[in-house]
Amino acid sequence: MTTATTDPLEIDTFTGRVVVPPSDVIHMVQPMPGFEACRRYVLIAAPELAPFTCLHGVDAPHPVFVTVDPHRVDPDYQVTLGAAERRRLGLQEDEPLLWLAPVRMDETGATVNLRAPIVVHPGKMVALQILGSDSLYSTAHPLPGR
Amino acid sequence: MLVFSRKRDEAIVIGDGIEVRVLRTGKDAVRIGVTAPADVLVHRREVYDAVRAANQSAAAAVPPLSELAGLLKLQPPLERVE
Repeated sequence: MTTATTDPLEIDTFTGRVVVPPSDVIHMVQPMPGFEACRRYVLIAAPELAPFTCLHGVDAPHPVFVTVDPHRVDPDYQVTLGAAERRRLGLQEDEPLLWLAPVRMDETGATVNLRAPIVVHPGKMVALQILGSDSLYSTAHPLPGR
Repeated sequence: MLVFSRKRDEAIVIGDGIEVRVLRTGKDAVRIGVTAPADVLVHRREVYDAVRAANQSAAAAVPPLSELAGLLKLQPPLERVE
């Protein structure tokens, strides 16, 4: 079953139910590993969450990711997009991109997946999780300061 | 699963324009060359599996949404990088 693309979406978030216009929906050009059924997400940003944001899955099973800009975690962070990744995102030149590294939180603290950031092209509202084969970054980088 | 017997420099073709070629064989490893259209992403299986595990773990560890804002406040602000 598909939802008409003109219908607003209702999504349950930490702030309650929000109504999202279709233009705010981010499409994964390749599904995130482990969540192949969910291709549509919305990004929830709120001042009380900063510097974190929440990536909410619109499609079942509605995964929710707490994310943070990896450049905020590691000032020297650098991951280069490959030719295929740039093409899939529809990148022409150096359009600004949104970088979202998934955060894992539990009782003992928080870690950030710097190895596989989600890259959003805000101009096209498409995204892709980068699976860097030769990445030196960890999938569980400790979040500093806790 | 389709199983092929291939010698060095022999290849198989998958779908439109994806070629997997055996470049070199050794005792415990083979060197493989993949030629694919420019928008096809190719990954090592173990990298894909590691990211899948990390994703599932991250999504599962998200606290109840009503508690999320409070939990995040416990994190000290990160040094701002501009």
